[in-house]
Amino acid sequence: FLIRIVKMSLRKQTPSDFLKQIIGRPVVVKLNSGVDYRGVLACLDGYMNIALEQTEEYVNGQLKNKYGDAFIRGNNVLYISTQKRR
Amino acid sequence: ELVDKCIGSRIHIVMKSDKEIVGTLLGFDDFVNMVLEDVTEFEITPEGRRITKLDQILLNGNNITMLVPGGEGPEV
Repeated sequence: FLIRIVKMSLRKQTPSDFLKQIIGRPVVVKLNSGVDYRGVLACLDGYMNIALEQTEEYVNGQLKNKYGDAFIRGNNVLYISTQKRR
Repeated sequence: ELVDKCIGSRIHIVMKSDKEIVGTLLGFDDFVNMVLEDVTEFEITPEGRRITKLDQILLNGNNITMLVPGGEGPEV
């Protein structure tokens, strides 16, 4: 019974809780196109629209450097990953 | 419920774009967006592992083709 309860609460919390937890953390955002963005997550909504700060753009090697805010439309997002180390 | 059984175990996700993600399933939602931990990303054609990510990732369910519980993916 205990295991079932833990599993159920995990399932309901995880995506929306995850979104709340990761704000302010350094993240990697990968788009469907394969382009990689690393920055600090400023904010995020349920559609995976993202605002990042101090973003760097990677495709194989390093392409562009962005400072300040970058806005990404959620439609294009493949994943959002928090990163403990680079 | 089938996916529910996988929570806490290793799962291997095949995307539309011939990319595969292997990780531990933490949770998912109605859209099959998935939260994974200790994730490794594999690109099929360039034959090789891409990035091993720590912490957690939220994977967009839009691009998921297949879920394989307990799989390890193509390992060279």
